[in-house]
Amino acid sequence: MSSEDFIAHLQAAVARHIGEPGTIHDLQRLTGGANKTTWSFDADVAGDHAQFILQLASARANVADNPLAGVSPHLTADEDARLMIAAVKAGVPAPRVRAILQPDDGLGGGYVTERVAGETLATKILRDERFAGARDTMAKQCGSILAAIHRIPVAEVPFLMRLTPAEHIAAQRRIIEYFGFHLPALELGLKWAEKNVPRNARHSVVHGDFRAGNFIVREDGIRCVLDWEIGQSGDPMQDLGWVCVKTWRFGGKKPVGGFGTREDLFEAYEKASGQSVDPAHVRFWEAYGSVRWGIGCLSMGLRGMEEVGIERCAIGRRIEEPLWDFFNLIEGRD
Amino acid sequence: MPESIPKAAVLLEAAVKYLETELMPTLAGYHRFQTRVTVNVLNTLRRELELRGVQADAERSRLVAMLGHDGDVETLSVELAERIRAGAISIDDPALRAHVRQSLADALAINNPKWLTR
Repeated sequence: MSSEDFIAHLQAAVARHIGEPGTIHDLQRLTGGANKTTWSFDADVAGDHAQFILQLASARANVADNPLAGVSPHLTADEDARLMIAAVKAGVPAPRVRAILQPDDGLGGGYVTERVAGETLATKILRDERFAGARDTMAKQCGSILAAIHRIPVAEVPFLMRLTPAEHIAAQRRIIEYFGFHLPALELGLKWAEKNVPRNARHSVVHGDFRAGNFIVREDGIRCVLDWEIGQSGDPMQDLGWVCVKTWRFGGKKPVGGFGTREDLFEAYEKASGQSVDPAHVRFWEAYGSVRWGIGCLSMGLRGMEEVGIERCAIGRRIEEPLWDFFNLIEGRD
Repeated sequence: MPESIPKAAVLLEAAVKYLETELMPTLAGYHRFQTRVTVNVLNTLRRELELRGVQADAERSRLVAMLGHDGDVETLSVELAERIRAGAISIDDPALRAHVRQSLADALAINNPKWLTR
């Protein structure tokens, strides 16, 4: 589709779903991943000049013959949007969905959300002076936001893949078996996870990728939580552990995302949810999260080899970083 | 035939020098980022050429001691992974822990030495 055609289709979709006339201004492609592309644009709608984000599922994401499809959670654009709608309803600062694209919009799967101003780059949020106040409050905010995410009624989002902790680990095994990749450190990590799997997990909606990089932050803290596409249901403590994984500290020293303390995170979560947090239970998810991210690096690296892309290939060489962190964690050296 | 000169490490060093000092300053955005990644990849190769031979010899010796028979390092490593998976070797075994830790440290010395001191 030419860019004129694309804009015409987008304008028609905006006019139909959000408001007339839908005239598009300042359309910019922000990122293009393997699964989706993200665009920013302004539009005239119902007498207003408003700011939006467009997410489009890429053609590749629709290919049904991916041998690993269904092994680990991945939402369609439509489900992704419906999860964000349920999240907003539960009081979560998630993007406000204004349109879910339909087949007759002619743009493929996707949705339009309101654009929230702020910073997403984790290194800036961790280092810039203007975010000093935000950094002081973000661990507590993470606790209360996660409590709100875990309150979303599972019945409202029945399309979420349900994974017990043991099923989570089994899914990672299937991924490395598919790739035929046998690394002693990975096997040790998975075996450790199998031996230490939490047996007393609750069941709730789980964001799945709750971490810096997926937060829109302003001077007063987190304004919006992005990237809901691996939303799932399972053990809520998974989200508390993932935000502590060392990779997501982006060089920052503090355990929660590089910006805060576990005490602040846990206290705020307990206060907002009424559920007590067992630090050892969260630590399991932090350690297992490092192994899982190691497997993420592996699969990106192997896909990088198929398409011979330099960035993905380079990520493949990062597999040892989280595995090293995993070892330090289980041996008490972190 | 003698080894061709300049040696591989020198060729890589020259490529990195061109990309970093001449090309990068002229670039912005996407291509600047991709060139940075390319420089990192070439530096990784340089470290691999320098370090991997000695590392692989030591890794093979550790694997032979643990598994009790000879073989090449790749095959022995896959065998160790399979033994861990099958539960034939305990994940608390001190020799296994020491081996895996050393192997990870070796790989990081090539792929991202800064991570070891983070």
